[in-house]
Amino acid sequence: MFMLDLVSWWYGSGWTGRLGSTRRRLAGLAEVFSIAILLRTLFAPWRRIVTYPGASIEARLRALSDNFISRCVGFTARFFVLLAAAVSFVGLCVFGVLEAILWPLLPLLAILLIIKGLL
Amino acid sequence: MDALNLASPRARHARLGKKIGHGGYYILLAVTICCILAGAGLAVLKIHYGYSLIGVGLFILMPALWWRYYLRDVPPTDNTLMGRLSNDCLIRLQPSVSYSPSTLWEAIRTDTQTLYMTNHLLLSTDGMQGCFSEDPDALALILAAATHIADNYESRTVEIGHIAAALLEDSPVVAEMLTHMKLTRADLVAVTDWLQRLFVAVHTKPESFGGVGRDWASGFTPRLNQFGHNLSQSIERHGAHFGALVDSPGVRDMKTAFSQGIGAIALIGPDGIGKTSHAYALAQNVLAESQDRTLQHKQIIELNASSILSAAREPGQLEFILISLFNEAIHAGNIMLFLDDAQLFFHGGPGSFDATQILLPAVQGRAVQLIFAMTPHDYEALRATNSAFASLLTPVVLREPPETEILEIVADAAGQFEGRHNLLISYAAVKAAYNLSGRYETDTAYPGKAIRLLEQSLTHPNHRVIDAQSVEAAIEQTRGVKAGTAAPIEADELLHLEDRIHERMINQTRAVQVVADALRRARAGVGNPKRPIGSFLFLGPTGVGKTELAKAVASTYFKSETNMIRLDMSEYQQESDVTRILSDGQHETRSLILSVRQQPFSVVLLDEIEKAHPNILNLLLQMLDEGQLTDTGGRSVSFKDCVIIATSNAGADSIREHIEKGEQVEQFETALTDELIHSGQFRPELINRFDEVVLFRPLNPDELAQVVRLMLREVNTTLASQNISVELTDAAIARIVETGNDPRLGARPMRRALQRAVENTVAGKILRQEANPGDHITLDAGDLQI
Repeated sequence: MFMLDLVSWWYGSGWTGRLGSTRRRLAGLAEVFSIAILLRTLFAPWRRIVTYPGASIEARLRALSDNFISRCVGFTARFFVLLAAAVSFVGLCVFGVLEAILWPLLPLLAILLIIKGLL
Repeated sequence: MDALNLASPRARHARLGKKIGHGGYYILLAVTICCILAGAGLAVLKIHYGYSLIGVGLFILMPALWWRYYLRDVPPTDNTLMGRLSNDCLIRLQPSVSYSPSTLWEAIRTDTQTLYMTNHLLLSTDGMQGCFSEDPDALALILAAATHIADNYESRTVEIGHIAAALLEDSPVVAEMLTHMKLTRADLVAVTDWLQRLFVAVHTKPESFGGVGRDWASGFTPRLNQFGHNLSQSIERHGAHFGALVDSPGVRDMKTAFSQGIGAIALIGPDGIGKTSHAYALAQNVLAESQDRTLQHKQIIELNASSILSAAREPGQLEFILISLFNEAIHAGNIMLFLDDAQLFFHGGPGSFDATQILLPAVQGRAVQLIFAMTPHDYEALRATNSAFASLLTPVVLREPPETEILEIVADAAGQFEGRHNLLISYAAVKAAYNLSGRYETDTAYPGKAIRLLEQSLTHPNHRVIDAQSVEAAIEQTRGVKAGTAAPIEADELLHLEDRIHERMINQTRAVQVVADALRRARAGVGNPKRPIGSFLFLGPTGVGKTELAKAVASTYFKSETNMIRLDMSEYQQESDVTRILSDGQHETRSLILSVRQQPFSVVLLDEIEKAHPNILNLLLQMLDEGQLTDTGGRSVSFKDCVIIATSNAGADSIREHIEKGEQVEQFETALTDELIHSGQFRPELINRFDEVVLFRPLNPDELAQVVRLMLREVNTTLASQNISVELTDAAIARIVETGNDPRLGARPMRRALQRAVENTVAGKILRQEANPGDHITLDAGDLQI
């Protein structure tokens, strides 16, 4: 009874549960890294540090350059976070796929290893 | 058919999960790791059994994972009872037992959820098994009721709390126990709701509100962080606790207004209604907002006027700080400012300053979203002094929620107090806080006043339990009123109130009885709680004991004659005298309202009421009807703990005529009242507002003789300091009565007669050294100097 219950869970809700868990982890990852916000504000100035343009051309040029730098800083910070998110995302996906493949194979693998050892 | 199929796979799995437990799980994991490591080691050493060991390790890993992802908390499967019973419930029920309501109670009575309910209802779980049916057939109905309760809470699982609630609701014995504790079935349902809210709060995973990059597109706010308190951050750090308030009408109105581009809101509500809580609830609502871009990721920062004021040490610094704070909020782009006690920013009272000129551009330009919290009184003051600014604010008026919602809020606050002070707060205490604060805290609004009273009652625990008596003790201490049930000694005093009053009152039996009955009704809790304890119109000639009875009531019921507020209504004959009744102390330093506010547990004696101005009599109508008056500042004061006694000489001649004809008071009191109404001396609506119209009859010579004896007691009390006592013979008393008796003035001249006769005589004896300390003087009619 114990083994039957275990095996039926393993190939039933246990397996689908693992797939659902990977999906939830990916959604959580997107939330933790604020992916939607970062993509929407990718080129926005860093923490709104901006220079307001003055009347003269020189002041305008200086504001343009300051704001360009602020946007570059903002882009760089966001880009690296997005990069980290992408790496984590890929890692989690790979883990999820491996888990989904290996999960049903684990009992078979265990049997094979036991037989291999005994032979 | 068994209602519970405890041999079902789900039930078996739950019991297996309990058997394995955390300990078993870690042992399985440890064995797995050991097998795999040892197997790998052997395989490296070319020992083939190593592979088998790894295989065994993997096999052992499978039950460990089964427990980790399934057995430790078996999830619900389908909509049947056995598919929905919670894991905690399944592991408490044994397949070998044939369950009835009684044995089911025995199985769940020590569970935390059951204990939560019984403890908060002050029911002892030990002796309760007999409260439930032993009939196994009755179980199906109980389980159906529990499922229905779970459905009502939209709970996927049927929890032990739902079963406990169903059992308690079904039991007539429990219903009787609750009735004995002045609780109802509705209170049982309320406690189940309370448990459910706690259960949901505990089991809800903390929300994430945007992640690491959320605020990177917003500016830094160092000054706001210094002078303000970030409500949104506080919610993110400490969790969201604002429950139903998050979707309350007030929060929805504010959110809608901001979504529509409104820049500034006046959040209007009396003290205690929860303006700050609404700001927190808005912050929580906005944090979870995912659709509306105008509100998404906004942070609400509360600005504290006093901390800003204390930081401004030099002239002009205040303006500089304020401007920099607003500039920072505008520049940051994700800030909503919450100005609590906003009147302090508009020069409204002590500790305030006028920041209108600084606030005006921000409000007009809608550059930053602002919430100004203020009371209706402060909002009206702002409209009166600065209507242009007030017109820029969109008012959101907060109203008191319905009773059930208030009780929920107070119960949730009680839960927080329990955790903080390690006490148990019963639901009866929650209800008492609601009822008593409604009765005695008329200056503030719900739910704040009930929560404050509950907090005050924490200093009156009864064996670490806060019950209704704790709340009554708190209100008795803070307001000086009698809120609790009469103690045995007091009950005895109340039952013999007439005797105690008659110790200082001669005759007027009917008047004394009517007043004593009203006082007993009030203390027994069967009187109307929305009106004064009693209201009486005393009619009769002068000097028959009307004022004396009022004093006797103050002395016997309120324990001191000083608990009497006396107004001579002949001094209130002008229309302008209304302010002397209603003054809040700003212009008139004395008024009826101020006196009652200082001493709410008093006799209010209104002498010669017929002489008061009609407008003042109209106020009295309201006082008698609703048990409260509102002062000139808009604050109400309760008269619900007062005994109102109005006296009048109107009808005195008529009473005398009836008595002289040999009639009893009861025979002509209705006719006399009608006569007073027809003659226009009293308006019928005023007469009808009094609980009783009490007629006092003139005193006959025998009664006057008893009055003299009472007065002689007072004389002896005065002489006690000289260690001299005086006794009067019957002839002496008769002489004094004969001298002092004036049918128009009743017993009043008797005091003068006694003074002249006894005190003068005794004074002469003392001065002539005929009376020395320790002497007992007996005076006969001939000895009196009259």
